[in-house]
Amino acid sequence: MIVPLNHILLLSGLLFSLGMFCTLARRNLIMMLLGIEIMLNAAAVGFVGASLHWQQMEGQAIVIFILAVAATEVSIGLAAILVVYRRTDSVDPDMDAALWEKGGSR
Amino acid sequence: MQPATPLPNSLIVTAAALLLPLLAFGVIMLATRSRHRLSAAISIGAAGLSLLAAVYLLVQHWQMQAPLIFQAVWMVSGQMTIPIGIMLDPISLSMFAVVATISFLVQVYSLGYMAGDPGFGRYYGCMSLFAWAMLTLTVSSSLLQIYIFWELVGLASYLLIGFWFDKFSASEAGKKAFVMTRTGDVAFLLGLVLLWLQLGTLDIPVLTDPAAVGAQLSPGMITLTALLIFGGIVGKSAQFPLLTWLPDAMEGPTPVSALLHSATMVAAGVYLFSRLFGFFSLSPTAMAVCLAIGTISMLLASTMAMVARDIKQVWAYSTISQLGFMLMGLGAGSLFAGAFHLITHAGFKALLFLCAGVFIHHCGTNDMFEIGRQGGRRLKSAVVCTIIGAGALSGLPPLSGFFSKEMILGHLLDSGHPVAFLAAAVGAFLTTYYSFRLIFIILFPRDAGDAPPAESHDGHHHAGGEYSMTTVLWCLAGVTVVLGFFQTPLHDFLARTDTGVQAATPAHHSWLPVAACLLAAVAILQAWFEYGRKKARQIGWVEQIPFLADLFGNRWYLDRLYRYLLDTLVYRGVSRLFTANDRRVIDGALDGLGRSTIGLGRVIDWVHGGMIQYRLMIMVAAVIGLILFIGWGG
Repeated sequence: MIVPLNHILLLSGLLFSLGMFCTLARRNLIMMLLGIEIMLNAAAVGFVGASLHWQQMEGQAIVIFILAVAATEVSIGLAAILVVYRRTDSVDPDMDAALWEKGGSR
Repeated sequence: MQPATPLPNSLIVTAAALLLPLLAFGVIMLATRSRHRLSAAISIGAAGLSLLAAVYLLVQHWQMQAPLIFQAVWMVSGQMTIPIGIMLDPISLSMFAVVATISFLVQVYSLGYMAGDPGFGRYYGCMSLFAWAMLTLTVSSSLLQIYIFWELVGLASYLLIGFWFDKFSASEAGKKAFVMTRTGDVAFLLGLVLLWLQLGTLDIPVLTDPAAVGAQLSPGMITLTALLIFGGIVGKSAQFPLLTWLPDAMEGPTPVSALLHSATMVAAGVYLFSRLFGFFSLSPTAMAVCLAIGTISMLLASTMAMVARDIKQVWAYSTISQLGFMLMGLGAGSLFAGAFHLITHAGFKALLFLCAGVFIHHCGTNDMFEIGRQGGRRLKSAVVCTIIGAGALSGLPPLSGFFSKEMILGHLLDSGHPVAFLAAAVGAFLTTYYSFRLIFIILFPRDAGDAPPAESHDGHHHAGGEYSMTTVLWCLAGVTVVLGFFQTPLHDFLARTDTGVQAATPAHHSWLPVAACLLAAVAILQAWFEYGRKKARQIGWVEQIPFLADLFGNRWYLDRLYRYLLDTLVYRGVSRLFTANDRRVIDGALDGLGRSTIGLGRVIDWVHGGMIQYRLMIMVAAVIGLILFIGWGG
């Protein structure tokens, strides 16, 4: 393998940190979902690297699972965000309970 | 336990006789309660078929040599199996017949007595339950089964004593009967548990087998369990010191009292004693205690009956004293004397109560002076039947009570308890005295001249059904008259009961019947002198001594004593502790729980800002902390 494992893990860690920052800091539910996707893929990159390093295919199998889970998560998450947006006209994650109530009564 | 001779025919008949009243109870309570005549027909039909079955069984097994036992496993739990079954032997068969007869007759009688009552259907439902419980109790093959139906009998009598539950005194009386008998049952249950732990079985044939019991139980243990079981008998049969519930139980309808006093509730206690006679006779101490309790109850109750004014209460006290008499006979070591008196007593006591019911039905009062004033003597058949019943109760020849009573006296004389014999003689004297006091009061009322005749007075009480009532009275009177002559065949029959003890040789004291009759004659003369003759003041010698009158009238202050004990021990002692426990510990714990929940809620409210990202941050921080901890610390 040309690329050393350390580099791949570094990339994976960097991606994970970026995704976490995105999830924690952005004031937009869609962006938070995006951050979660990035974190999932960072983990997938780590799995692929490890799988190549030890020449075992289980890691890549796990990646397939992760992709499936990520796809499901995105579809459900986006649907949920759509409902939230329709109810409250907002995609702000810090929305007030009062706002939610008001939106719900509409 | 193999059946001696497999006779499935008897099993089917017995099971049918047992299930029919249960079925009647279920059908009446579930479906036909509001349809009075139909309910009565169902209940009486079931009782009648049970009676036929009982007669068939009695005839079929008159020559039986060994008891028939049918058992099936009811429940298995680990090592122990709990059987349920039917045991037919002379004692259970004769008791079965007695119970079936009395409950059938009482139900027929109730057609007249209870007519027009809004709870007519419910009444018959409870009657069926009562009959079912008692019939099954008599043929139970194990002590556990007896215990179950023992409690069911208690339940049914609670329901019937408190039948007019909208009357406060009736519901109170029902409760009192229930709680007081339950006090005795606690001891009974403890005895059962002890026996179970020691023997591993509660089958009656095992218990009454002296060899089997003697091999596994020490004499002290036998005495202990026998006394504990005897506690249950004391409660059920209203013996000293648990006797005060029975007079209060008069609040129920009169036919119920008749049933309760003759064949079912109180008889269950004495029946259990005769059932376990072989077991009890292994312990001389228990027999002595039984004799003593029987004597005390008999004397106490007879003295109470001497001053009572309520006609039903007089008979209630006399029931207690007659049950005491039976226990004396059993305690003196004669199974037959006790069981025979149980059977004859069932007949004449039912008769007396049903007669009292006729008087009450007509005059609308329980006070016997009032009944006399309203012309109770015009009710010819009731008066004649009362005299027959009272004669049997007093042991006058040739009525049934004469034979059984004389037999108990003879055994007491033989058994070497002169004190008990003397007490029994005094008790017999008092019994005759108070029975004829009642009769003379009703027959020869003072200032009766201005009272209107009964026929115009009975008004709304006269609801028809007279025919059913008087027919039943004459049936029972006939039984009372002839039953005594069946002493020898009955004795041969009952002597085959496998009690494990040698039947005592019948006592032969030719002077005893004469003496007993003389005693009764003196008592009747005294009652005549005080109540019957033209110039009698109708004030008994007891009532002329204020101290005794107070003592007897207040039931020897037993009720007061119990009230006092209840107040001091329970209300001021145990209850107070429980209250403190309730306030401090339980309420305190609940309050603390509430307060801490509120506090925790505040904390969580502070954490729960509704800010997802803030929470995510904490989560990430926690995970990082965990990783660091595992990486370095672990």
